[in-house]
Amino acid sequence: MLKIRKREEPWKWGALVVFLGALLFSLVLSALLLKGQGKDALYGMTVLWQGSFGNVWSLEDVLLKAIPLFLCSLGVAVAFRMQIWNIGAEGQFALGAIGATWMALAFPDLPRFVLLPLMFIMAFILGGLWALIPAVLRLKLRVNEIISTLMLNYIAILLLDYLVFGVWKDPASFGFPMTPEFTEGAIIPGIAGGRVHWGIVFCVVVGSGLWAFMRFTRLGFELTASGGGARVARYAKIRYGMLVLLVMGLSGGFAGWAGCVETSAVLNRLQPSLMVGYGYTAIVVAWLARLEPLNIAFASFFLAALRVGVENMQLKLQIPAAFGTIMEGIILLTVLAGQFFLTYKLVRKPRQE
Amino acid sequence: MWDFLIPLFAATVQSGTPILYATLGEMMTEKGGVLNLGVEGMMAVSALAAFWVSFMTGSPWLGFLAGGFAGMVMGFLHAFVCVSCLGNQVVSGLALTILGGGLTHFLGVPYVGLAAPGFNPFNFPLLSQVPVLGDIFFKHDMLVYVSFVIPVLFWFFFRRTSLGLHVAATGEMPAAAAAVGLKPIRLRYFAVIAGGFLIGLGGAYLSLAYTHLWTNGLSGGRGWIAVALVIFAFWRPGRAVVGAYLFGGVMAFQLRLQAAGTHLPSSLLLMLPYLLTILVLILSAWRGRRIDAPAALGTNIEPEG
Amino acid sequence: MKKLLKLIGLPAALLLTLSLFACGEPPQEEKKAEEPAKTEEAQAPAEEANVVKVGFIYVSPVGDAGYSYAHDLGRQAVDALPYATSKYAESVPEGADSERVLRNMAREGMDIIFATSFGYMDPVMKVAKEFPETKFMHCSGFKKGPNVSNYFGRIYQARYLTGLIAGSMTKTNKLGYVAAFPIPEVIRGINAFALGARQANPEVKVHVVWTKTWYDPALEKDAAKSLLDSGCDVITQHQDSPAAQEAAQEAGAYAIGYNSDMSSFAPKANLTSAIWNWGPMYVKTVEEIRDGTWKGDQSTWWSMKDGVVDIAPMGAMVPDDVRSMVNAEKAELMAGKDTVFAGPVKNQAGEVAIAEGTTPDDGALLGMDWFVEGVVGTTN
Repeated sequence: MLKIRKREEPWKWGALVVFLGALLFSLVLSALLLKGQGKDALYGMTVLWQGSFGNVWSLEDVLLKAIPLFLCSLGVAVAFRMQIWNIGAEGQFALGAIGATWMALAFPDLPRFVLLPLMFIMAFILGGLWALIPAVLRLKLRVNEIISTLMLNYIAILLLDYLVFGVWKDPASFGFPMTPEFTEGAIIPGIAGGRVHWGIVFCVVVGSGLWAFMRFTRLGFELTASGGGARVARYAKIRYGMLVLLVMGLSGGFAGWAGCVETSAVLNRLQPSLMVGYGYTAIVVAWLARLEPLNIAFASFFLAALRVGVENMQLKLQIPAAFGTIMEGIILLTVLAGQFFLTYKLVRKPRQE
Repeated sequence: MWDFLIPLFAATVQSGTPILYATLGEMMTEKGGVLNLGVEGMMAVSALAAFWVSFMTGSPWLGFLAGGFAGMVMGFLHAFVCVSCLGNQVVSGLALTILGGGLTHFLGVPYVGLAAPGFNPFNFPLLSQVPVLGDIFFKHDMLVYVSFVIPVLFWFFFRRTSLGLHVAATGEMPAAAAAVGLKPIRLRYFAVIAGGFLIGLGGAYLSLAYTHLWTNGLSGGRGWIAVALVIFAFWRPGRAVVGAYLFGGVMAFQLRLQAAGTHLPSSLLLMLPYLLTILVLILSAWRGRRIDAPAALGTNIEPEG
Repeated sequence: MKKLLKLIGLPAALLLTLSLFACGEPPQEEKKAEEPAKTEEAQAPAEEANVVKVGFIYVSPVGDAGYSYAHDLGRQAVDALPYATSKYAESVPEGADSERVLRNMAREGMDIIFATSFGYMDPVMKVAKEFPETKFMHCSGFKKGPNVSNYFGRIYQARYLTGLIAGSMTKTNKLGYVAAFPIPEVIRGINAFALGARQANPEVKVHVVWTKTWYDPALEKDAAKSLLDSGCDVITQHQDSPAAQEAAQEAGAYAIGYNSDMSSFAPKANLTSAIWNWGPMYVKTVEEIRDGTWKGDQSTWWSMKDGVVDIAPMGAMVPDDVRSMVNAEKAELMAGKDTVFAGPVKNQAGEVAIAEGTTPDDGALLGMDWFVEGVVGTTN
């Protein structure tokens, strides 16, 4: 007879074991799914591995994809720690891109060391503002932030459409919805002329900054230690309302930075195809990483690798692109279920009559 | 003027029906105290399941039930992760949405662009002849007529049956419910799975009645609207009907504005449904009726040590 | 006990995971060993022709009976050739992801890659520079280079013909157009449809509703219904699903499809469809690769004469006189005489946008962002 008993102290290596176990389980399930579709599952898994890690250029691709994911996830994690369910990273990402584009189009001739910071600042501001709207709604009107952030996602994408189909449309683009190409000063350059751009250094700086904040400041410590929610405000001696605004502003700002980086370094202009769902995958990353900055780095690398690897599978096995999404979903669900074992354990108890 | 309004209202009813099913399903789940953000993914999977069964068997009713069944299966997953494994309800729901979306894309490939037997609109005997109201409510397909009945059943279930009362008690205070001998875990499972069934019916509606096709992206954000509408409805079925039709109406309205030749940019018009949802939430909160939310909504039931 | 589990569990999980990957190797090597043998056999009878490796990337899923589906049918025609093989990647988002996919395909040794959506333009140009030996063909764009050519089809010719039919068959003089995005190719199609419709029936008006999606059957059906409710009795679309066709049939109206023959979805309502037929064009291009006559830096617009665009067989409900009129116009187009946009053509404001006696060049057509007279709707 198995009974559930709460652990006296948390299982130390538990998180890693749960994660690996969940990963294994998901791989097996996914392999079965492949088999069910008549594909060679083992070959598929090899292709997946090689697609992400098989050679230098795949690793570059993974890094490039991990950068915006990392920034978005940082934002999501900060909010989630306060039990503020910010599902709006996607929209905040878009607003950041809009902010960056605004600066790039308004001041095309400024030198890079002036224009880029300007773009980053505006991206942070607009992304942050977009997150502050649901924050204020939650504080003043008790509006559920899950819904409001989500609705703002849809609205943000439509806003982006409106801009690129309308006032920001490139006159030289033959009527297609895209802004003019950014000038040199607005593009984040590659490191040593390579493909991986300075965005990655930016990530390291921001990530370390956040980690230091969590570790060494009172507020950061409370965010980590007191388990989130209103308790944080009490122990950190800040008004709950101010804290909510601060956290959400930061959350939206980070996602905005991700949008800025993608638009500037990768696309070199604003167009609707910017939106590939980083904001939603960021939630998966943040949760898998248990909301900690260092883990987020690994998790975003991992999920970016999954996406890139699945693309390779698509090419070699001719399976639909959605396979990666399925794996993401299964991994997240099994991790969630497995996390049960971090706080509880199953004990054998003798039958009592 | 009536030429514009009557077809608009009729379209509203049809457009609002899948949302109504989904909203009631989510409401059932939340009454038990569990938040389910996976509605979008569940609707997608149910739409595919319903389509597949109807396509294979030739029976739209079997397809309709299959959609409900698919919703139940996904609901079971969510219940297992949240109720038994105490996983975070928000994240679990999101995972379901991601998984559901991926599964439907992946498994649905052979069925894209095919048509399956479905439900067609017909004039309800006698009632469709009523002026104005007949045109608006009684010239639809069978599943719309079924959807008229469900809110009543829902109300009856929670007000007059003991099972319904038990589920509501679990949603308010699981500890107290356990203390009087109820089994909160089982009741929560029931709420989530039964809710999943209704959500699944909503998904089935999309591929069997709304269109007779299945293609990717059929749920189109309706699942999220359903979650918002539960709040708007103060967890009551009657207001859910109002909310669903309101939302369906806005979607139909902005399209008709375009058809009539408005000069407003379509991107802005398309924002209307989402802006309306936020507005609706603001208005609901303003009235200060948040006390209607099941008190234990979103929390997990810790097992006794 | 617990400690033991922990000790074993962690490395065991790691080992298992890694071994999954390791076990995968042999099949791959076996496959590689088989392939050279097979191709050698195939090559022996076919002189010294090398196998042309062709890659395709699509922006949407292949099975959608829509745009990518039409391209994929063309790919299958290439696959059927004895001297060519093909691979494709679907649902590739435009932007950074497409760069990656293009690079991977080029690395795999593709001889030529067809990028079938406008948004792939910049990625194609970037990757083409890195792989000068690989040839790239970009669909519906305007950039080209030493190893990049672009192509598109004059689907507007088919639209014009469908407009003639619609204009002849309408009783309310209101035609409905369910359209995705206000980009030039869609606007061009609407204009051609309107010009054809008004040629058959000068009283006709074309109402446009934007769905801002290529692919949302429920929304498309709603859009169609809103047009039907406002009095339109012929619906056509620039969308990838046949939902609008269903709506028309349910309302007892007529419908004209797009991308492929959509009559099976609405047999009572469907008059015809404006369809793509990419097969001949893809086969011809692959032949050029094989013969070494392919040229970069070209912009080619394939037309009805080349068989790349067409209209589906007209439904039985189309009366004989309309049929013969359409066939006569079609014969002109097949002979190479394209007067679809020949002036004088007025815009929505009533001003002359294309002067009498002139025909716009391909550049003007490529960038068309205004509506002709008779179209009701905004271009945003």
